[in-house]
Amino acid sequence: MSKPIIQLKNTSKTYPIAGKEFMALKKLNLSIQEAEFTGIVGPSGSGKTTLLNIIGSLDKPSTGDATVLGKEIKSLSHKEAASLRNFNIGFIFQVFNLLPVYTVFENVEFALLLQKKSALERKKAVMKALEWVGLEDQANKRPDKLSGGESQRVAIARAMVKTPKIVLADEPTANLDSENAHGILKTMKKLNKDLGTTFLFSTHDEKVMGYLDRIIHLRDGSIEKDKKMK
Amino acid sequence: MKLEFKLAFKNLFGAKLRTLLNVFVLSFSFVIIIFLNSIMDGWDQQAQKDSVEWEFGEGHLLHNDYDPLDSYTILDGHGEIPKRSIGMTPILERQASVYPQGRMIGVVLKGIPSDQKILKLPTKKLNQNKDEFPVIIGKRFAESAKLKKEDRVQIRWRDKNGTYDANTIIIEEIFDSNVPNIDNGKIWIDIEKLWKMTGLENQATYFILDQDFRKGPFDSWTYRSKTTLLKNLKDLIDQKKASQSVIFGLLLAIALLAIFDTQILSIFRRQKEIGTYIALGMTRLRVVRLFTIEGSVYSVMALIFGSIYGIPFFIYMSKAGFPIPPADQKLGIAIADVIYPVYGLKLILLTILTVIISATVVSYLPARKIAKLNPVLALKGKKQ
Repeated sequence: MSKPIIQLKNTSKTYPIAGKEFMALKKLNLSIQEAEFTGIVGPSGSGKTTLLNIIGSLDKPSTGDATVLGKEIKSLSHKEAASLRNFNIGFIFQVFNLLPVYTVFENVEFALLLQKKSALERKKAVMKALEWVGLEDQANKRPDKLSGGESQRVAIARAMVKTPKIVLADEPTANLDSENAHGILKTMKKLNKDLGTTFLFSTHDEKVMGYLDRIIHLRDGSIEKDKKMK
Repeated sequence: MKLEFKLAFKNLFGAKLRTLLNVFVLSFSFVIIIFLNSIMDGWDQQAQKDSVEWEFGEGHLLHNDYDPLDSYTILDGHGEIPKRSIGMTPILERQASVYPQGRMIGVVLKGIPSDQKILKLPTKKLNQNKDEFPVIIGKRFAESAKLKKEDRVQIRWRDKNGTYDANTIIIEEIFDSNVPNIDNGKIWIDIEKLWKMTGLENQATYFILDQDFRKGPFDSWTYRSKTTLLKNLKDLIDQKKASQSVIFGLLLAIALLAIFDTQILSIFRRQKEIGTYIALGMTRLRVVRLFTIEGSVYSVMALIFGSIYGIPFFIYMSKAGFPIPPADQKLGIAIADVIYPVYGLKLILLTILTVIISATVVSYLPARKIAKLNPVLALKGKKQ
């Protein structure tokens, strides 16, 4: 058994909504191992995205601990959190979030620019990432010239180019048709196997379920069911 | 920082029309500020040069009883020319009246040696007609008194005893100078003739000094350097410059407002992009820096864009000059018909620095908000 890469202990998150405290996560205990392909499933408002945001160091738990790659999220400064995301965590968003004025190549290259990699290293890594997602011939296109499926594949390449330890994907197939969704999932599954990257999805898409190694059911901020598929 | 510059340029080029509009407005401010300032500098330089060449020389030595701003002091404000008078051209002033076409006009008769070389006045003409009273006058005075070259006109003056005398003067030459002080209401005559007319032999009201003049104890005379004499002119031009800076301020404010507005709009509209930058590993401070640099890059682009049309315009204007309307020339200050702009390095550098710094400041002010944005809400594109 591999070591836990993500560990949550009694993690809670509350938000003030309309003058009241809304508890998005309720004393969650969770452990994710390295190279897992895990889905967090649940209806809207169940706390999936909040959980991903805390793991991705974009947010902090209100109480409890969240440890990612041995780093306590709560105690990270803005700079340390940015560094953790830059080097170790890749994000894939539901609406792709590609930077519109950059080409496909430049979008994928962005994370490497932040890592101050040399031009040669960047070019090599970007082309390799585009090759993983089958978009090496679209490198010079701008996002507005791509289909939804292609855009999401660029987003995967952008998340994977820095070969992060963890990829967090928030509803990655929600805006895609069935064919594209399966294509994306196959790509991610392959990367998970080939590179050993830990994938953590939030989804309520039935199509995703078949690809997952583990499904964590969330309801009202609590884990309802945690099921290993194999 | 290099990355932020690269991204800023890319973002601005990507924004196309919005960038073009901001850059155009800012470049217009650049060009206008430099041009108007260069006109003022050109005027300053020309006015100083003309004043020295036509009126001040290297300085004045004034009789202690004479005040150039008080015409009542003309009567007694004169004295005998000192024995040691190297580098000193004497001027004797007397009040008089002329009667062109029957009208009476009060004038100042200014006696000057016809062989003087320090001022550009065409005083050689004063020596051409020994038997009559040849005089020279300026273009402005000739126009206002409706006098032409070779006109003869009655003149009345008082001699040293206060007795009135009269004769006919002949307008030997009408000179064209940008210095109104030597023109308006002034009639220049050979000093020797004026001495005879008034009985004030070897007397002077003041001296125009040249390079050979050496300061020393001159009793009854007060030394005024060229710098002192030019001070009023400089003060006046500086005051004009200061009032013109209101226009520059307004122009710059319009351009900066456009940048400020764009920045605020950008931060609202590009929330998702800001969230993405943070999610990809950029620190908030770097995102603030990126947006600030985007704003200051407008000024760099405006500088480049402004140079494209500004430099040919500046070159053309430095050759063609800026014509001054006749009404402005009658203001009583030294001003040429055409002012040639002077583009000093200090002026250009100061303008560039002012625009770049102010563009950076107005970009930074709204960009500070990014540091307080919640990246989770930003990623969702929610306005904060």
